[in-house]
Amino acid sequence: MDTQSLYALTALFDTPDDVVHAADTVASAGYTKFDVNTPYPVHGMDRAMKLKPSRLGFFALAFGLLGAFSAVGFISWVAVVDYPLVIGGKPFWSWPAFVPVSFELTVLLASVLSVVAMIVIYFKFPNNSHPLHDTPYMRHVSSDKFGICVLATDPQFEEATVRKLLASLNGKDIAPVYYVFDDINHGQSLFDPKFIAVLVLTAAVVSGATYVTFNKLLFIEPFTWMSDQPKLKAQKPSSLFNNGIGMRGAVPGTVARGSLPYAFAGKPDTAAAYLVNPLVPTEEVMKRGREKYLTFCSPCHGNVARGDSRLRGQFPNPPTLHSDKVRNWPDARIYAVITDGQNVMPSYASQIPRDDRWAIIQYVRVLQRSQNPKESDLK
Amino acid sequence: MSTAVVEYTRELPVVEGNPRASDIEAVIAAPLDQFPSRTWWIAFGVTTAMLGIGAFCVLVTLLYGLGVWGVNQPVSWGFDIVNFVFWVGIGHAGTLISAILFLLRQRWRTGIARFAEAMTIFAVMCAGVFPLLHTGRPWLTLYLTPYPNQHGVWVNFTSPLLWDVFAVSTYFTVSAVFWYLGLIPDLATLRDRTANKIKKLLYSIFSLGWRHSNRHWQHYERAYLILAGFATPLVLSVHTIVSFDFAVSVIPGWHTTIFPPYFVAGAVFSGFAMVQNVLVVVRQMFNLKHIITLDHLEKMNKVMILTGSMVGYAYGMEFFIAWYSGNQFEQFVFLNRALGPYAWAYWTMVTCNVVSPQLFWFKKVRRSIPAMFAIGILVNIGMWFERFVIVVTSLSRDFLPSSWGYYTPTVYDVGILLGSFGLFFTLILIFVRVLPVVSISEVKAVVGGAQPTRH
Amino acid sequence: MTDASFATPLVKKELPGSVQRLAWILLAAGVVVIAAAYMVDVRRSAFNNIVLFLFVTSLAGGSLLLIAIEYMSGAVWSVPMRRVVEFIAGLTPLAPLVALPCLLTMHDLYTWTNTEAMAGGGALHAKQPYLNLQFFVIRFVVVFLAWNLFYWLYTRNSLKQDTTRDPALTTFNIRMSAVFLPVFALTVTVTAIDWAMSLEPHWYSTIYGVYYFAGTFLAAVACATYIIVRLNEAGYLPGLRRDHYYSLGALMFAFVNFWAYIAFSQFLLIWYANLPEETFWFMTRWKGGWEYFSIGLIIVHFAVPYFALLSQDSKMDPRRLKFMALWILVAHLMDLYWLVMPTYSPTLTFAWIDLFFPLIVVGAVMLLLTVKMRRHPVMPIGDPKLARGMDFHL
Repeated sequence: MDTQSLYALTALFDTPDDVVHAADTVASAGYTKFDVNTPYPVHGMDRAMKLKPSRLGFFALAFGLLGAFSAVGFISWVAVVDYPLVIGGKPFWSWPAFVPVSFELTVLLASVLSVVAMIVIYFKFPNNSHPLHDTPYMRHVSSDKFGICVLATDPQFEEATVRKLLASLNGKDIAPVYYVFDDINHGQSLFDPKFIAVLVLTAAVVSGATYVTFNKLLFIEPFTWMSDQPKLKAQKPSSLFNNGIGMRGAVPGTVARGSLPYAFAGKPDTAAAYLVNPLVPTEEVMKRGREKYLTFCSPCHGNVARGDSRLRGQFPNPPTLHSDKVRNWPDARIYAVITDGQNVMPSYASQIPRDDRWAIIQYVRVLQRSQNPKESDLK
Repeated sequence: MSTAVVEYTRELPVVEGNPRASDIEAVIAAPLDQFPSRTWWIAFGVTTAMLGIGAFCVLVTLLYGLGVWGVNQPVSWGFDIVNFVFWVGIGHAGTLISAILFLLRQRWRTGIARFAEAMTIFAVMCAGVFPLLHTGRPWLTLYLTPYPNQHGVWVNFTSPLLWDVFAVSTYFTVSAVFWYLGLIPDLATLRDRTANKIKKLLYSIFSLGWRHSNRHWQHYERAYLILAGFATPLVLSVHTIVSFDFAVSVIPGWHTTIFPPYFVAGAVFSGFAMVQNVLVVVRQMFNLKHIITLDHLEKMNKVMILTGSMVGYAYGMEFFIAWYSGNQFEQFVFLNRALGPYAWAYWTMVTCNVVSPQLFWFKKVRRSIPAMFAIGILVNIGMWFERFVIVVTSLSRDFLPSSWGYYTPTVYDVGILLGSFGLFFTLILIFVRVLPVVSISEVKAVVGGAQPTRH
Repeated sequence: MTDASFATPLVKKELPGSVQRLAWILLAAGVVVIAAAYMVDVRRSAFNNIVLFLFVTSLAGGSLLLIAIEYMSGAVWSVPMRRVVEFIAGLTPLAPLVALPCLLTMHDLYTWTNTEAMAGGGALHAKQPYLNLQFFVIRFVVVFLAWNLFYWLYTRNSLKQDTTRDPALTTFNIRMSAVFLPVFALTVTVTAIDWAMSLEPHWYSTIYGVYYFAGTFLAAVACATYIIVRLNEAGYLPGLRRDHYYSLGALMFAFVNFWAYIAFSQFLLIWYANLPEETFWFMTRWKGGWEYFSIGLIIVHFAVPYFALLSQDSKMDPRRLKFMALWILVAHLMDLYWLVMPTYSPTLTFAWIDLFFPLIVVGAVMLLLTVKMRRHPVMPIGDPKLARGMDFHL
């Protein structure tokens, strides 16, 4: 059965002069679907075949510009918008420092993508099932001969004419090449199942490896050796010390920085007798007192010291500070309560510095005055 | 008639003896079909032993941390960075030969370009090991790339250490693509001449089905030109960015504006010395003396004088400007280099880099294989010491005398350096058995009679 | 391949009389401008004189360099064009004359000539062994003696070869180039440091010599390109093709990039380290109007030539090459102006002096060509590589 379909008629040439002349003649004769196969590029062949100049340079320019703009754009976004950091005292958009990375990305994209574009778009590679493969013709042109093949799909193709033409041009070994198994090769599709499979596999492997590295591997020895170091860290237990606690307490007799002795611990009335409020009721002192009062005292005592605090029900409410008793206390007596604590109220000495305590007391006086105003105040 | 007339009025043939295309193919493809010789096995044994020692030292480093190296305060960059800069420099010769000589239309590059490019790729692989290791936790290297991560932070694009990441990876990728592009036609030729089924399958896959079609050659040549045109500024930029690691600082001896071209010239210098050394061996072992000729080696030696002189110029300029600046810290650096505790390294460097290449002014030395081989080795040693002097002396003694310190490498430092040479030469030995070391198609294109006569 | 295959017989052709008249007019106009400028504003003229001197020196020294590189590299494509470059190198004896007015106004130009300031101590005092008038002049004399010696040797051999066709002269020139290249590296560095960098004696940069060298090479190639293309179009260089032009375009493109690379390296390192003793030099060029000039320099000297000479075709197109060659010469002048003038005036102020000072170079080069072409062949007809050079194809 005649199942073989003709792909092309091929001829071999011995010298570069012959093949260039032949290509020129074939092209001038009007054939468009023909090709020349040479083991290396022969000078002048492009002109002889009347080929249009390669447009690959535009691809390179386009990819290069893409690389340049996307690099500068991305780096600028990172440095100015997303996470601006002052590095070396330079402004956020320090363009001279962006140049090296942008340059590299320009070159990378332009070079690699141009080659990929050439291979995929121009060559339509990889393609190992082309009719010319594994033919004697291919073996010769791979090595030391030059060849021309005129495709059967050329509109002017007529086997006898072409054969005569090639013979007249010094063509040797004029032979037909057939499609194998009538397998007409299509162009490459982006959705080729094998290609998609490779992409999916690569994606799976990379994601998997990244996930495993960052979520599992780092927690396995010896990769934990750097994060779990056998050194003492605060708040870790330790077998070295008797009480099993890594953190050591202060040596008895250690004095905190800036601390001063308080002579009236547990003796509020003595404190009342001897201490005097050093702060004058200026606006600044009042503001400070107000701020500290609202921060430390108001949770229990309420915003205006009535004892109606927000913590009603969770702690026993303190008595109002507007009672006659408290209003008649000297400032220092209140100071002693803040410093020592009283009944359920703990000592606030470690939280409120001394001057702030006096400022709070000034403010409490203001509050007391506000709840028991005189006639003259209301004018 | 004196030989002078022959040289000027006629073009010297690139390949000697005018062999036929099929002869060229046969001699280049021969090692791929033969079982390796005893010499090859012995060499392979030596290089894998070196590689093994290096691997062991790397393992120790990974398990116990960088404390097993000699780096400390004040010299926090030691062998690791010296070796990194050294290997990146070696790689530059390959790109210069394949890309820059291509742009300059020097046809004598055809015999050596393939090998040189392969050396570039291997050298960059050796170089890349060091920045990875010196971070201490190389399994976290991914943090060097700018991807949206759970910390919400990005990499610091203004740091020269990050520029290195982009530069070296781009350099490796583009060099590999360039090298592979050149290999495609050769792999197709090998596919068509091999009888071995497995080899044929592999060659078919990796040649992508190349058919030697001139419609493809047209685009191929344009792509080659584009890649050469990009690779040239790329290779300049890579070692420039490596020099920025030092020059953007304020350390005297590091912060000087001539570093970029000085480093590039030095890289080409050391790279050519290494390429010349390896080619001397390869052409002997694989009968390629008519393709990698003495003329080619002589031209490479001339390039070495040129770049060696540029390096010498840079030494002189640094010295003069240090004096001219009146800056006592700058002046001290140079006195310290010559007379201080590392004087032994400095004078080794000067002898090997400045003095020994001067012998190449003499034609007899340029064309003598033993002499050029020896000078090549000396240059490599000198250039390694140059990086050592730059990195270590400036760090060991900078502004404040109370911070001065002496750096001693440990046995693991030296082991990893040895391992890097082992890796490099092992890869070369594997390369020569697996792929054609000379570009078959390019050499075929430049022998006499390969191109049409002009009408 | 003997030179019998060199088809067109080469006749010494002179430039037309109209060119010579124009040359004299421009030269005279240039002299008048300079004289008038000195009468109006000595200090401004002196600074412009430095710019002019550095420009002429770039053309002269750069041309010598091109000749040396051709010999050292064994290049073939440039041989037919080498004589034109030798003619331009004829500026070498004239360049020192351009410097003479500066030598009379040193105190207006260089602060280190103030011996009191130099004796005061500190950094300036440390430089005094180098930056003093006597040593400066000695260096100047030595540099130009050396350059003139090489110029004389190169051109004498090349011209002698026209009649004797002796290849030994080529061998001699090649050997001489091996000596000239390191000498040139040193002398061009010294020139740049002495005349330009020392304007700001506190500042220093190790790459400065390379920076000036990049501009020098570029200027020489651009000047040669323009003249070669014009001469070829007028029929004086028969046999030159677009293939020969390609390398000229490629060299211009390559060195535009190289200049930008050196300029950016210098800037980036000083910007990054941010040391006040170094940054002030760039800060002067970023204030008082100079920032516009600096940005303009990047556009004129890098961005425009880069894209204009990027494609392969543009490197061979005669119209593009002529235009970009002149553009690049102007860019180089702009570069030298940018190096020198901020010392004269921290604020950017243009005057007619600045624009017309360089005019004299046009007349000088035209006159030089006219005179030389009357006496010598415009191609090196005795060069053994000439036939290969004419036959050169891409």
